[in-house]
Amino acid sequence: MLKKNFMNVLIPMLSILLAFIIGMIIILCMGANPIQAIGFLFRGAFGTVTNLSNTVVRSMPLIFCGLCTCFAYRCGIFNLGGEGQFLMGAMAALAVSLLIGAEGPWVTVLAIVAGILAGGFWGLLPGILKSWRGLNEMITTIMFNYVAVLFMGFVYTSALREGSVPQTAAVPDLTKISRIFPNLRITWGIVIAILVGIAAWYFLFHTSKGFQLRAVGFNPTASQFNGFSVKSYRLMAFVVSGAIAGLGGASDILGTQFRLISGYGSGYGFDGVAIALIAQLDPIATVIVAYFFAVLRVGSTTMQVGSGVPTSVIDIIQALVIIFAVAGSAMMHLPTVKVFFSNLFGKKEAA
Amino acid sequence: MEELLRMEGISKQFGEFFANRNVCFEVRAGEVHTLLGENGAGKSTLMNVLVGLYQPTSGSIFLHGKKVKIDSPAHAVKLGIGMVHQHFMLVEAMTVFENIILGDRRSKKPFIDVKERKKEILELSWKYGLNVELDEKITNIAVGAQQRVEILKALYRGAELLILDEPTAALTDVEVEGLYSIIEKLKAEGKSIVFISHKMREVLHVSDRITILRAGEAICTLDADKTTSQELANLMIGRELSEPIYSKVTQPGDPVIEFINVSYKKSFKHGGLSEVSLRVAKGEILGIAGVDGNGQSQLAQIAAGVIVNESGEVKLKGKKPSTFAPRGFIDERVSLIPEDRNLMGLVGDMSIEDNLVFKSTEDVRFSNFHGWLLKKNAIRQYSEELRDKYDIRCQSVAQETRNLSGGNQQKVILARELEAEPDLLIAVHPTRGLDIGATRYVRDSMIEARDKGCGVLLISADFDEVLQLSDRIIVLFEGQIMGEYSGKNPPIQEISLAMAGK
Repeated sequence: MLKKNFMNVLIPMLSILLAFIIGMIIILCMGANPIQAIGFLFRGAFGTVTNLSNTVVRSMPLIFCGLCTCFAYRCGIFNLGGEGQFLMGAMAALAVSLLIGAEGPWVTVLAIVAGILAGGFWGLLPGILKSWRGLNEMITTIMFNYVAVLFMGFVYTSALREGSVPQTAAVPDLTKISRIFPNLRITWGIVIAILVGIAAWYFLFHTSKGFQLRAVGFNPTASQFNGFSVKSYRLMAFVVSGAIAGLGGASDILGTQFRLISGYGSGYGFDGVAIALIAQLDPIATVIVAYFFAVLRVGSTTMQVGSGVPTSVIDIIQALVIIFAVAGSAMMHLPTVKVFFSNLFGKKEAA
Repeated sequence: MEELLRMEGISKQFGEFFANRNVCFEVRAGEVHTLLGENGAGKSTLMNVLVGLYQPTSGSIFLHGKKVKIDSPAHAVKLGIGMVHQHFMLVEAMTVFENIILGDRRSKKPFIDVKERKKEILELSWKYGLNVELDEKITNIAVGAQQRVEILKALYRGAELLILDEPTAALTDVEVEGLYSIIEKLKAEGKSIVFISHKMREVLHVSDRITILRAGEAICTLDADKTTSQELANLMIGRELSEPIYSKVTQPGDPVIEFINVSYKKSFKHGGLSEVSLRVAKGEILGIAGVDGNGQSQLAQIAAGVIVNESGEVKLKGKKPSTFAPRGFIDERVSLIPEDRNLMGLVGDMSIEDNLVFKSTEDVRFSNFHGWLLKKNAIRQYSEELRDKYDIRCQSVAQETRNLSGGNQQKVILARELEAEPDLLIAVHPTRGLDIGATRYVRDSMIEARDKGCGVLLISADFDEVLQLSDRIIVLFEGQIMGEYSGKNPPIQEISLAMAGK
């Protein structure tokens, strides 16, 4: 048990380390000083209070999308539709805040609820298709992403468009999610994100329903034989995971972005998948890894300005982390590796 | 006879633990040599050393009198050692032919000479009576045929020594007969076979010599025709074990489950039920005898509420079940030991304790607020009690069940199902793949449950088991009931004819 927990921490750590080493070699090949470049990266992410706050702001949507994936995967559902669910949540929240004709904290709450419902609904659809028609959710959730992105195009070019530029009106000031500190961009949204992470962790590991949901994820047949309703748990996983992403979209639009523009939210869904996988599907770890991703994103801009190394190097590092983490966990299942570690840990194993 | 293989003083150590200690094992050309031992006795470790998956801590291996060092399975194949694993290593989506030539590099040509290869394979298959359909996909052929493909694959790569790891575990009786005749032919051609098993009768039937392993050590090697199953059993477990004779019940109580003309996929001979009527009463064991695949799985699944019968009626304790789903049956105190423990019984990725409280996490013993706060300490304590009570051997109850041996996995299921104090226990092949000690334990537990007033529906392909345990016996053939017999002095001849459909 101890060994397993240890490996769950070791693999992501090693993956990050390896990815950085390779990233630095690439930077070296480009003729820049890797130590200096990485220095700029971390200065950009942590250097000043403002930078620190920007990193936190950047991490918020990633946390939600990571948790969205994490929750669904725990039930064996490969929800790749985080992006679509996120966008539907954002659109619903924006629509409520703009169309209700009033502003104030109660509208904020209403908008957030609308976001949750819209995200959940967008998760429910592929859930229904899977449960009753047996369609593979990996395909359907991606397709629903396209529907959501195109629908967003309709929203910012015509339905809620403001002015000559293709963008929507902004969320009214009093409806915005308020900042924690007046001069920093951090909003209460991040608190919501962390609370959702803790709630997901508590639900999955400390309640009977969460236990059964994980059991369905590991072995649906045994779960069915032991009297769990596999179909309901799967639907629940779809809806809750969509709702988490929807809440993320709502928090982001009401707290950070305020209006929809072309390209909004692009890539969040797959970032979420990567984050959850690196975090080995642990909700708390997901929050931490999401923050790490935000560090890379925010820091890379400073790095580009400071040392001339393009931000795409950071994308490479990020991709490498994912490859190493996934390969690392897969490797743990190989018989030879198992034997190696059981020898290493002096575990008694009767073969 | 000439000596083919000699393993001398093989030890394999994992940490402080000796999986093999100073084992000597020798195989002659053209003999069937059985490795007999309980689960965990070190049979698999020894064979893994032989096929190069493990390196021995000490000891050496001689082939044809020459010392060899086997560092990989590929090397073992090169040396003429072929293994047929218990779980077949075949690519299901590929054809038989493709599976046989997979990974074989005898020709340097860039393209595969299909005609030539097929000819070679067919010749081999005629020689040894290994009938296979070369162009059929693995998914479409029966388990017995898949095994023949594995054997053929090993022979095609030039195996002189074949290791068969529990080859009969998944076979039907007819297929087992077929395997025996293949083994005879292989022997006649001078191939040597290492046969791994713990079924006494078949071991005595096929072997020339038998080596018994116990707790990692080779106890002795015997000639098969000079020993008895009793002697083997005693050597295997290291103490006297008398065949238990369980008392039989003739006056059972009220019925717990009744089937009235139940049908399910009637037109299927294998995997359907046709007009089945039966009754299990409190305090009795009803044994269902029959060759595997004659509707037993479906019978068990209907009785557990997993699948719904298409016609007829199922009554639980005299009433129609309120919800025809596993949950409804569990609430009526129906327990199930399923036929496939890893697929249907356990969640391998979860710990022993999780699996033990699997169905009852909402119980007040294990959680507060109707399941909204699990009492981890209570679960741990309860699991440790059950571990001791049911003798589940593990490092800790937090260990994942997938790492347990088959016998211990079955004990986890048994503990969970019996602790629910069932009124009906459905046990499907409850001792399949278990060693003698565990088998005995599972059987005793079922008798104990019966004596406490639980009705037991025992479904087993092991005829001896059905005879030993059942108070009444029903024979199922092609989904139909062939007859009902008393469990006390059962007419064995008649029953076995009924099992064959006569």
